[in-house]
This record gives sequence, C-alpha cells and structure tokens, in this order.
Amino acid sequence: MKQLSVIFVLALSLSGFAAGVSQAADVRKTARPTGGALNYGEYGRPATLDPITSNEMISMRISELLFNGLVGINERQDVVPELAQSWDASKDGRVYTFNLRKDVTWHPKNGEAGLPFTANDVVFTYNIMMHPKTITPLKVRFEFIEKAEKLDDYTVRFTLKRPVLNALAKFSFKIIPKHGPKNSLYLTREDSFVQQPIGTGPYMLNNITADREIVMVANEKYFKGRPNIDQFVTKPFADQNILTQALTFNAIDMIVLVNPRSIAEIQGDKRFILQPYNALSYSFFGYNLRNPLLNDKRVRQAFGHALNRQEMLSSFFNNQGTIISGPFAPGSWAYNLDVQPLSYDPKKAIALLNEAGFKQGPDGVMQKGGKKLELTLMVPIEKESEAVKRVVLAFQNYLKNVGVTVKVEFKEWQAWKEDVFADHRFDIVFASWVFDDSADISSLFHSAEIGPWKNNFVAYSNPGVDSLIVESKLTLDHEKRRTINRKLHALLADEAPYTFLWTLTNYSAYHKKVQHVAIHPYKFFSFADEWYIPVSAQKK
Amino acid sequence: MTAGRVQEPEREIIFMKKYIQTSGEIGDFSTLPVWQKYAIADLVYVAYGLLIVALVVVSYVAGMFAWLPYDPQQINMDAMMAPPLSEGYLLGSDFMGRDILSRLIMGIQAYFLPGLLAVSISLSGGVVLGILSGYRGGRVETIITYFTNLVDSFPRLVLILLVVAAFKPDIYYIMVVMGITGIPTVATAIANKIRFLAQKNFIEAAIALGLRTRVIIVKHILWYNCRALLIIHATIGMGEAILLETSLSYLGFGVQEPVSSWGNMVQSGANYFLQGNFWPSTAPALAIMFTILGFNLLGDGLNNILEDRREK
Amino acid sequence: MRYIPLKALILTLLKELGLAFLLLLGVSFVVFAILYAAPGDQFNVLLEGQLPTEEARAGIREAIGTAQTWYGQYSSWLLNVLSGNFGTSVRTGLPVAAELLNVSLNTLYLTLGSMAVTLLIAVPIALYSSVRGHSVVISWPLTMLGYVISALPVFWLAYIAIYISIHSFDFFPLASMSESQGGNAWLYTLVPVLVLGLGSGTISEVIRNLREEMTRVMAEDYLRTARAKGASVWRHAFKEGLLLPVTEIIASKIPFMLGGAVIVEQIFNWPGMGRMAWQAAQDRDFPVIMGIALVAAAFVRAGSLLQRMVCTAVNPQQARD
Repeated sequence: MKQLSVIFVLALSLSGFAAGVSQAADVRKTARPTGGALNYGEYGRPATLDPITSNEMISMRISELLFNGLVGINERQDVVPELAQSWDASKDGRVYTFNLRKDVTWHPKNGEAGLPFTANDVVFTYNIMMHPKTITPLKVRFEFIEKAEKLDDYTVRFTLKRPVLNALAKFSFKIIPKHGPKNSLYLTREDSFVQQPIGTGPYMLNNITADREIVMVANEKYFKGRPNIDQFVTKPFADQNILTQALTFNAIDMIVLVNPRSIAEIQGDKRFILQPYNALSYSFFGYNLRNPLLNDKRVRQAFGHALNRQEMLSSFFNNQGTIISGPFAPGSWAYNLDVQPLSYDPKKAIALLNEAGFKQGPDGVMQKGGKKLELTLMVPIEKESEAVKRVVLAFQNYLKNVGVTVKVEFKEWQAWKEDVFADHRFDIVFASWVFDDSADISSLFHSAEIGPWKNNFVAYSNPGVDSLIVESKLTLDHEKRRTINRKLHALLADEAPYTFLWTLTNYSAYHKKVQHVAIHPYKFFSFADEWYIPVSAQKK
Repeated sequence: MTAGRVQEPEREIIFMKKYIQTSGEIGDFSTLPVWQKYAIADLVYVAYGLLIVALVVVSYVAGMFAWLPYDPQQINMDAMMAPPLSEGYLLGSDFMGRDILSRLIMGIQAYFLPGLLAVSISLSGGVVLGILSGYRGGRVETIITYFTNLVDSFPRLVLILLVVAAFKPDIYYIMVVMGITGIPTVATAIANKIRFLAQKNFIEAAIALGLRTRVIIVKHILWYNCRALLIIHATIGMGEAILLETSLSYLGFGVQEPVSSWGNMVQSGANYFLQGNFWPSTAPALAIMFTILGFNLLGDGLNNILEDRREK
Repeated sequence: MRYIPLKALILTLLKELGLAFLLLLGVSFVVFAILYAAPGDQFNVLLEGQLPTEEARAGIREAIGTAQTWYGQYSSWLLNVLSGNFGTSVRTGLPVAAELLNVSLNTLYLTLGSMAVTLLIAVPIALYSSVRGHSVVISWPLTMLGYVISALPVFWLAYIAIYISIHSFDFFPLASMSESQGGNAWLYTLVPVLVLGLGSGTISEVIRNLREEMTRVMAEDYLRTARAKGASVWRHAFKEGLLLPVTEIIASKIPFMLGGAVIVEQIFNWPGMGRMAWQAAQDRDFPVIMGIALVAAAFVRAGSLLQRMVCTAVNPQQARD
C-alpha cells in the first residue's frame, strides 16, 4: 500500500515488534556456509539505486544492501557502530564527533581496486544531500544539522542547530563516495551514479539486466566480513498474483511484502516461511475540517463509533494488525494505553449526530437545516489492491447505516495528492502515515502546518495541541516528553481529526532454505549479510 | 443475386476494406419469404444477436429501476467470496460479499450509455468525414486522410491510458477517446463506398435524375448503400467498448468501485484465479463473451441480409 | 511476372516516408498537448516521499532546465529529437533512446509473434470457409471458436494460460525466467505470444475480413471461367484474396496488438514498451511517454508502408493514379 512517507524514517523507540529471527541464532557465524543465490521478487521496478535520490521502498531496500551509514541499528533496535567505530556527543547535545573505521574500502569499479573510505566522503554526502538542487526526501530530516566538518581523514564533526532527541539514530543515513557522482555539487537522476552506485555495503552491484533485474554480488572485502549468500537478485514484477505464483513455483526465493490475499495460500505451503514484521505505519480516515459539516467534533466522533474496526481487521487482514487510538506506534513510549479506540456503537453514533443537530430525513439520510450529510471520500487508485477497496467500501457501508452518505472517488495517485494536499478538495481521505522515529507529530497537527503542500492537510487547529507539540519538541527530558505525548494522544483521540484505524503486520515469505533471516521492519535488508543458504540447498 | 451486382470493382477499393459490394439498388423487390430469401445461419445469428440486445436492454431497464435480486452495493462481510448457489447467491458473491448476479445486471449501466456515446461519435464523425472526403475530394480529402492516419497511428489503449492517467478514470473520458479513435475506420469505409458509387456513375445518374445533393447523400448513399456498414461498425464498437473498459480495469483505470462494470468484476475476481478460485471472474467474463459474440454475430448476420449475400 | 515496378515502388516509398514524418510530428504534438493540458506537475515523481514547497518545485524546474511556455517546451523537445536526443527519463534518469531501443525490440517481437499466431489461426479458417462455404463440421465451429476467444478479456485469458501451464505442464511461462533455462528460452516466450495472438480481440475481425475478400475474389467472373476451364487460379487468388488483405490486416491491427501488449507485458513480466508506457503514464514521465508514442506510431507507419509497397508491387498502375 502506498504510504505518505513524508516522515521518511523508522521508528526507533518501538518495542512492540521484534525483528524476528526465524532460526536459532546460536549458529556461529563461522559455521555458516557461504554460497548460493537469493532471488527476491518486488512489485514494481526501482527508479534509482542510490540512497539519496531514491524515494520509494524498492530502491531503499536495495540501497540497504549496497550502502552503510555511520551508525546502524541492530536487531534489538540499539544504535551500533557501522562506518563509525565510536563517537562522542558534547554535553549540550549539539556537537557529535565520529571516529571512522580505517579498514573500509569502496566497492571496486572497472576492475580497479576499491578506494578507501574517509571523512571526505561523509562530508561530501552531507553537503550533496543538502544542496538545494539535489532533490531528495532526506533533506527535511537533516535540517537540524548546522554543518559537517572533517577534522582529519578519519574524524568527522557534526554541529546541530539545536539538541535533538535520538539524534544519534539519525546518523544512520547512507554514505556515498566522493568519487561516485560526476557532479560533485549536487546529485540529479541524470547522473550515472544513481544507476551505477558504488557503496561500502555487503553487496555490490554487478549488473542490471535488460529486464531491470538487479544483480548484486557479495562484497569480498566487506568490513564486517564477507556476507554468506553469494548473490542477491531483485526481480521486478508487474502483477502481484504472478509474483505469488513465482514464489510457489520456486522461480523466486523471497517476496518482500506478501499481498494480504495470498497469505492463506502461502501459509498452507510447507516449503515457505511467512515472517511477520511491523509495517511501522498506520492507516486512518482524515476529515477536512474546512467543511463546516465536519468541523463539529461530535460528527467525527460519530463516524468513529459507526466503524467496526475489529470486523474490518479480521475480515480483510486476517486480524494481522493492532487497532490504535492515536498517532503513535502502539507499544512505543509515546503511546497512551489508557485511551481506548472508539467502540463500535452505531446507536451512539446516531445519538451524537442528533446531538450535533442532524435529523434523519425521510430518505434515511441525516440532514441539518435542509443540508444532507453527504461527503466525498477520496482514495488513491492502486492497481489490483482490494485491501484498500475493501476498507473504503466497508466505511461507506458503516456510515450508510447511521444515515451518512459517502461518495467514494478513486483518483490516480498524483492527482489524488494534488486534490488532497494542494487544493484540499476532499471531505474525507483514506491514507496512511509512517510513524516518526521520535514520535514527532508536529507536521501533522500543528496549525502552522496548514497550507498547500503541507502535512496538516485536514486543517486541524487547536492552540492547546499546538503548545503541547512545541513543548514536546523542545524538551529533552524523556519522562516529561512522555507525559506530554500521552496528553496529546488523549486530546487527538477525543478531537478526532482523524479516525485512527490500525497499524498492520506485514509479511515476508521466503523459501525455508534461506536461514537465519532477520528482517528490519522498515529497511528490510539490514541484516542480510548474516543470512545463509545451507550447502545442500544451494544448487538449483 | 441481384441484377446490379458488380463483379469487378476497381483495384483501389479492394485494398481498402470491407463489405464493398453494392446492393440495395432501387428496384430490388424480392417476394420470397424471409427464410428462403436468406441463409439460415444468418437468421440464427441475427436472432441470437437480437436476443442478446434484448437481454442487455432488459438488464439496463432492470438496473434503472433496481429490479434486482439484491442491492448490488450491499456488502456482506460474513459471506465474502461465496461460491455460486450458496448463501442465497445464484452466482456467488464477490470480495465484499456483494451479489455477483445483481452486479452483473447493474454492470450494463456502465457500458450502455457510454458505449452508445462512443459508437455515435465514431459513426457520426466517420459519416461526416467520409462524405466530405468521398464526395468533395481534393484538398478536403487530403486533410481528412491526414487526420484519419494520425488517429490510426496511436495504439488506442495507450492513448486512453494516457488520458485517464493524466485526467481522471471516467468511463465517459474513455468512451469519448474510443469514439474518436473509431472515426477513421468508418470514414475510410464510407469514403471508399462513395468513390466506388461514383465510379459506377451512380451519383452522376442520381444528379441527372434531378435529385438534390442532400437526398442523394442521405437516402441513396447512406441509407441504401452504407447501412450495413454502419450496423457492422456499431455492433463491433459496442463490443470493443466492453473489452476496452475491461483492459483498463486490469490496469486500474477502468470504472471505479463501488460502481460495477463487467471489467472491474473480472479484474477483482481474477485476483483469486491463480489460487484456484475461478468463479468470481468467470461469470462476468462469460457475460462479456456472450454479449460481444452476440453483437458480432448480429453485425455479421445483418450485413449478409442487408447486402443480400445469400449462400448459393 | 518478372516485371518489378521499381519506379512505382520508390515513388510510393518516398510518399509514405514523407507522410510518416508529418504523422509522427502530429502524434508527438497531440501527446504533448494531452500532457500539457493535464493537471499536476511532471516532476511530481521526483518529489514522491516529500511534500514540496513552491520553491522546491521552482528549484527542480531550474535544476532540470525546463522552459516555462508550452511552445518553448515542445520546440526544445522537438529540436532535441531531430538531433537524435530523446532526453532522459524523469523517473530513472536513464537516456530514453537507449531504453526505448531495448524495450521496443521486445515489444516488436511480441507483436509480430502474436500477429503471426493470429494469422496462422485466422487464415486457414477464412480460406476454408471461403472456398468450401460454411460447413457445419469444420469451418463453422472453428469460426465460432475464433469469435469466442476474441470476445474474452485478454488478461483473463492470460491467467487461464498461466494456470494451465503451471498445473498441467509444470512450466512457469514468464519471459524473465528464461535466462536460467538455457537453450529453451524461446519456449518461455511462446505463451505470452500465444495469449496476445489469441486474445487481442482481432481474430474474429481478421476471419471476417479475409473470408469476405476471398469469397469475393473467388466469385469474380474471370476466375470462375478460369476454374471452369481447369486452369490454376491460385496465383491470382493468392495475390488478390490473400496477400493484399493480409498485409492490410497486419497494417491495421498493429495498433491493437500494441495496445494488447500493455496488458500481456504486465502479466508475463515482459520487458517491453507497454509496461514502460503504463509506468510512464502514471509518472507523467514526459520524455518517456513522448518517446513511446513516437516509436509506437513508427511501428504503425511501418506496417502501413509495408502494405502500400505490396499494393504497388502487385498493382503498379494503381500507384500512378
């Protein structure tokens, strides 16, 4: 499902999910055989392969194999050294100094030996990322950094504009080589580097076939040790049904994201393992508060009561997800468990609508002052995704039961974004957001974020929420933040600018010959260098 | 075999297509009964075709007044993907537990008026351009030929895909573009027909008889000589409208939920096809097949009958 | 019959090429007009994953260097194309010309293969029923079969084909899977070609056209005379009743096949132009869409050129009129 990955980050502070390790982790690394190839299927083709210009999940997953950040995140979600072997943070939290590894080399290019990785590359990456002519979704994320300086060849210092909570985790952005891009000032997609990237990661790009299959081979000189599997191949598919069939026919070994309708089919097949991982995003119905009909919070609450979220979750998603009541990841420190999701209670919904002045007309449709409660629900088109269709059709039906007419309008993705974010021509939208890693919701609900191409597209404005958001952002005291966020959660649940639905469990499916598979919920391939295929299963 | 049957038309006409044989010349009064006058096969085709057309019209009316077994929009989350003849659903239910039969009947609404619109654009545009080009000739003809060639140079599906992706997936947008892309075939056929009639001095004779241009064009050219051709194109056009919407539904840009169309029904059902769940897509696919077959055979049969091309 | 109307052929060739040039110009302009009139921004795909400010949009325009006015955009594109530069894809940054060359050859293969399938099925049926008349045993059922198949949605037919090949032949017919199969790679391309050939909705029309033409030619007086006298009429019947209509059908059905290719390429993972077109249409990838439109139109014109040449070769007098 397409996500509004405006907050293009992973939730670090989550504890509710496990990067599941399917096989016993006690197999020692030395005991793991090398060799074999893993063909994994993706729905769609990657646009670019570098970590800077890429802005969709397929490319991002590939860049996880090809590149490294200064720091990484391990399976327990701790920050661990990667290209930086150690770091210091100043007391005021504004200066971070990284000591880099000295044994890292870039992937060799054109048969020449790989160049060493140095501080120059780090500074270069930061500068190219922030250059105004580089188009990258990362820029917004790193505006808190004031500057990056090279102290010596293996030491880099970052100065922040203001102290930021969890700043260290943000240095997991991928580093690109100074000798990579042709243009040393900014990176555009016309630069050949975006298709022929050079990284430090466990795998290096071998070639791209005419079909845009991406063949990556093990980096023998990977600084963490050579990865076990010899070859990773990305196979792009244009039809999800065929993607599933390809797996069951052993034409591919892994599907990154299984379509919900195929889960039952794969589950019944003993050859494959279905591994859950958290989607790190949540779905919601958002209401355009510019519409006077929706400006009354009782109307929005009534909608929340009209929906049977549990029924939708179990009928459409095999119950694989968690119903939420606010904009924070369930299980994270910011989530307020005291706030219950609105119960399914159509009678209460009708009562709330009556309270708001709506009376059922002769045709069963609620009306107030001769104006019918008729709303347009805007949904982006996704080819062959019935999950989205199901949810919006069910929504339409639930609201019909309480006398609200919903007109569903499907629009092509770009046109939908224009309508919702630029022209605000909608009453209700169905969409999903990626959770922010530091539970920062300022861009979603702060009144300063109302306007064309801003995230607060529902035009929610509440001085109380505004001040809490600012307070939460400024404080560095974790406990205090927690209290504020719990307050925010309760406020937003009550005010209901969104009807929060759920965060889903994604499934990856792979052949059981692939062992020791740990999956990062967002970047997916973070631990792929430790996966292995037993020698007996390596032959085709 | 009518007296005026022409045996050796000029070469050029042969290249351009179809149904060129002249017919319906004034004075052709056969007194044979219908079943002897025409081939049985043609009559069967027409009968089948008319049956389908009648079914389509009845379904359209039924849909208009909601005479359906169930409300086609009524979802039933307890009985999703029910097989045929279960849970009270004659043809089973779809991925939202909606009655497939009701949605099938309702699905005609998606094509009926839009399809007619597409066909009327093709036919009226084709007739006007065809007459202009065939009757006037000269520079007008050159310009029209350029236009028809231009339209023919687009793969239709790609053009429509571009339009719906750029603007919005609306069946009327689809059908207008489809209607426009259908113009060249009709225009070329009519222009060729007129050229052929002119070569046979048909038009000269009509002018000599003192007939007004309008009468010649409307009555003698269009009615007597082009009606079979127009019927064929109309029937093919209706069939193509359905298939085209189906293809677009697969690509995600056909008629959108919750409105039902046969195309989006096949598409949503086909998602379960490879898992071995055949029926949710089979019912609409067969509906498409029988309907298009009906249209095509109706066209074939009527063409043969109107052209009086009885098997000898 | 040794006379080859060389002069007429060259004349036709030149005329057609001139026309083709004008038509390609027209095609590119129409596509450009649609794209220009469409709401939204052609660089949206670059801004996916962020919500851009107006400045960011202006920045992109500056970085990529696109003219503001429509005639500025179109003429700069046109000048570039005339000098052989099709630009680079907005989405991938890859040069459009090289990409197109790759995918268009794949699509050409698929299209021509399917055309061959269509003809291999339609021609015998049409021939049989025109020579022998409607026979209840052979030609009628075959004709009906052709009609039925071409009335089925092509993607549904594709799913059926895949289901059958998986479950009955233990064979997964994706072109992209062929590399691992060594010498039998062509086998994997057979199913998509068959599906498109059967399911592009053209078989019924081809049967109908051919049957009409053949019947008409066979009924011509001198042919009947010749046959009555026992002379072979095949050469004439072949030229008039088969060669001409077949080339005409090839020419007129290329656009349909290209359209059907969009669907078939998606399902069978065929690395062709149709799949690229679908992606590009969603991304509003201006240079790619324009390039695809041009190549597709060039295919269509090539078919038409072939048809005119055959016509001229068969009937040189005709060309002179």
